Amino acid sequence: MNFWLLERFKKYNTKPALVGHWGQFSYADLVQLVEKIESEFKGLTGSTTTTIGLVGDCCPASVAWLIASERLQHWVVPMLDHAQETAEKLNQIHAQWVVITEGGTWKIYPRASTGTLQVESSQSLPAHHAGLVLFSSGTSGNPKVMLQDLSVLLNTYESRHENSLTLLSLLGFDHIGGINTILGGLAAGSQMVIPESRAPEHVITTIKKHQVAILPATPTFLNLLLMAASHRLSDLTSLRLITYGTEPMPEGLLARLRQILPAVRLIQTFGTSETGILKTESPDADSNFLRINDPHVEWKIVDDELWLRSRTQIRGYLNASNEKFTADGWFMTGDKVERGPNDTIRILGRTGEMINVGGEKLMPTEVESVILSVPGVIDCRVFGEKNAMVGQTVAVDVMAATGQNWETLRALIRQTCRQTLTAYKVPTRLNLVSAISTNRLKKQRTN
Amino acid sequence: MITRSQILVLILNRLKSLGVELHKPALVEATEQTRLFGDKADLDSMGLVTLIADLEYDLQQNLGRTVSLVDEKAMSRLTSPFRRVDFLTDYLVEVVNQKKP
Repeated sequence: MNFWLLERFKKYNTKPALVGHWGQFSYADLVQLVEKIESEFKGLTGSTTTTIGLVGDCCPASVAWLIASERLQHWVVPMLDHAQETAEKLNQIHAQWVVITEGGTWKIYPRASTGTLQVESSQSLPAHHAGLVLFSSGTSGNPKVMLQDLSVLLNTYESRHENSLTLLSLLGFDHIGGINTILGGLAAGSQMVIPESRAPEHVITTIKKHQVAILPATPTFLNLLLMAASHRLSDLTSLRLITYGTEPMPEGLLARLRQILPAVRLIQTFGTSETGILKTESPDADSNFLRINDPHVEWKIVDDELWLRSRTQIRGYLNASNEKFTADGWFMTGDKVERGPNDTIRILGRTGEMINVGGEKLMPTEVESVILSVPGVIDCRVFGEKNAMVGQTVAVDVMAATGQNWETLRALIRQTCRQTLTAYKVPTRLNLVSAISTNRLKKQRTN
Repeated sequence: MITRSQILVLILNRLKSLGVELHKPALVEATEQTRLFGDKADLDSMGLVTLIADLEYDLQQNLGRTVSLVDEKAMSRLTSPFRRVDFLTDYLVEVVNQKKP
């Protein structure tokens, strides 16, 4: 259990902590929320450790629940509200409680759970530590369930120094990147602005309104931001620092950013759900080489793949093979990298089949299994296609049954995907083919 | 050869079906002035990417060759060709009339 964070919040007191469409919450307000949750939830669960599905966007209640869960030593699983995926995730983690957050309020629902999360002894958390469970794209159809030591993670932010800069948080609260931004910002007493939507024009308006200085983003978002900002660059003059990560930065985009926003420092960040976010430096602002400079992280390159060993590493996958972790604690990131001058590296892409749409990742099989369920589809192969707007998009080759009208089938596939999958996973390009070029799918289906 | 008005019809038809798919009535009623990107637009970035992929497919069907609409050059234009239906129409006319490399 961490004491320092709430003590720090008390010291920051009336400083604004979170600002969004639900209003402004100071650090003192956050302390009140955390304390209210603690007394309310303790009354319901006593001292038993439970698993909480925390459903909602990044808002004061979500943040307070994350912190209170750590203090009460529960396992917390943040997720965004997407009808089908949320229900499946709650099942997978055997959530005993579901908390739905909105602004500074929440509703708590007990949930009949059919089992408990199985954790191997080597993965179990030390006594009195809380768990953070996140989902990441798995190699099979199902996302991987990852267990992180929330108490250890939270402690890594204790070294943050106080600043009074305003930061805009764009990244999802269900991802390690989003959680890192929020916890890091709060530990430093920053004002965190949460925009109502991630539409670039709305974000520009928000930056101007709140005089945002720091913007953590993905290259795709920055690409769209430049598209939207061409006529209103003066609205971005408060920006001092842009950090970018979660997908490779195209050199052309970096050059455009440097040219259009010359007063803004650009720093590349790097991290994985499995290892946490690493402290990095960008020694040369004109290049996308970065240097890992984190006392808690070791790194090496094995066959062009980046391997990491970090203090904030997850305890393991709870529903999948842990073959990506070596016995001596290295995690094989799956990121293809090249070595640059002075101990720097550059991220080139993924070694495997993973598709990265604007920083959101997915595995082809997840989409393939949905498309295969569409009547009239004989076989399909999903793959990532390079796209200058969002990095990569999802494309699919489809083999259709004889006599099937392609336009009708195409529309039906899109519709089915839209109903079942989050928007970024829905294929943008659908190709009708007479044969599927690999036998990967057939192999998997017979397994 | 494909004319400007034919290209406009392609775009409006695709917007119409996307409007139905995404439950956005404004897209079904789209005109040349409809915004495709930004605050007042009914498409988000993934919607825009989908529209462009659909149009690349349509143009390929019409012209019998592959057409790529999004590249670094298009992205770095001062006035984005993806901002409004009329800008996109003009841009498509320009792209399809370019000589094959």
